Amino acid sequence: MKLYNIKFVFMSLVIAFTITSCNNDDEGVIDDDVTGMDDDMMVIEPDFSGTFAQVDFMGRPGINTTLSVGDVKDMHNVAIPSEMAATFQAGFEARLEQYHDVYAMKLGADPAAVNYENNILGLTAAQLTGYLASDVLEVAPNAPTTYFNPGTDADMDGRILVPDGDEVALTGRLLSDDIIDVSLILFFGGADGTRFDGNNGTPQLTSDGVSLTADNITTTFPYIGAPE
Amino acid sequence: MKKTTKIITGVGLMALAIGIFVAADHIDAPASMGTTADIADYFAFEPSLDSDNTVFIVDLQSNVLDGLAFGTFDEDVLTEINIDLDGDFVEDMVIQAIPRDGRMYFFGPVAPNQTGLNSEVLVDFPLGDVEISTTTAITETTADGVSLFAGPRQDPFFFDFFQFNAVIDPDINSAVGGFKPADDPNTTDDDADAAVDTFDGSNTMALAIEIPNSMLGTATGVNFFNIPVYKTWITTNRKR
Repeated sequence: MKLYNIKFVFMSLVIAFTITSCNNDDEGVIDDDVTGMDDDMMVIEPDFSGTFAQVDFMGRPGINTTLSVGDVKDMHNVAIPSEMAATFQAGFEARLEQYHDVYAMKLGADPAAVNYENNILGLTAAQLTGYLASDVLEVAPNAPTTYFNPGTDADMDGRILVPDGDEVALTGRLLSDDIIDVSLILFFGGADGTRFDGNNGTPQLTSDGVSLTADNITTTFPYIGAPE
Repeated sequence: MKKTTKIITGVGLMALAIGIFVAADHIDAPASMGTTADIADYFAFEPSLDSDNTVFIVDLQSNVLDGLAFGTFDEDVLTEINIDLDGDFVEDMVIQAIPRDGRMYFFGPVAPNQTGLNSEVLVDFPLGDVEISTTTAITETTADGVSLFAGPRQDPFFFDFFQFNAVIDPDINSAVGGFKPADDPNTTDDDADAAVDTFDGSNTMALAIEIPNSMLGTATGVNFFNIPVYKTWITTNRKR
């Protein structure tokens, strides 16, 4: 069935100039079922020839969307990861600071006084944006997958995802991982993840308030729900 | 149910017109947005604890907004899953996918014959192929234990995209309080002040591969926590 389809389409497209090696078949060239006809030679593989040039790129979710500005968005999509940190880190850091300035103004504060603070990983703005600029999705073949679970405290030391050796994170991305909230916490959460969480007069910048729709995913391959 | 319908006519088109972009990678940049090669989203995970497989899911295209290319895999678009084993951010293995005549053909995983921005289909390393599904998922499992899928699926991404754009709007009166609270599940009324998942009800053109780690190779690069990881990324590549 499959080979027939492939062959049929191929024939209908280019029959005019392909009757060369099979020209002894005459009008039988598209008939697989003629008794005694050796049409093995007519099994035509799909044509995969040509050169393909990169037009879009994605590693971690939301990086280009949230941290690139203007023409950089297109540049990022035709870049390669080994060159991304050098190309994009400074712009990403400026954008991160710009977000803080926007909220300073909305709250009537001095933009120069409201800045990124080191996040729950202890990363400075330069370190965080440098890490994100090399835009790859890491997946650990031998560890549980979690993009980042800010509630994890595996060793019960009271520290959430401080890199002291026992917590698991940045090991891939599950369909159910709330990568927007994680990104917001890394950008705006400060050292304890709650700096701008809507409490104590702060704007809510560490969660967008939405969660996975249950029927979007399934427990078996291909793991995503039938289309609506 | 499909919340986008009421958004599209007004805010949606306006958002497109003024160049606002949607995460995770949906419609992320002017040149690729809304094309058949637009990467919407990407997931990579272990399907269960102690699994020896890795799952890659690539979402191309989206119907979250009207006017976007959606519904057909483009035979001129080659999708690549790039896998860096040693942590130098250069691909050591690639898996390719490209459609022909209603089927999705997969190649690799194999070391690419060239790294960087240009690719050719690795026709000497076929992985398998699968009929492109419609509503019901058609899957294939190869003799090597690789599962393959291609077809439309629900878009599993969740994000209050319109509030995000209000949050980052420099207008000092826009979303002063930041994001909205979660909808209260105990009330049936639409709460105008609650967060809305813009992607609820939208679909995407998905590719899924579940593959034994033994076919990918040994990860020697590490993540921030010193855990060995594959460093991976997706590209779409258009025939020249």
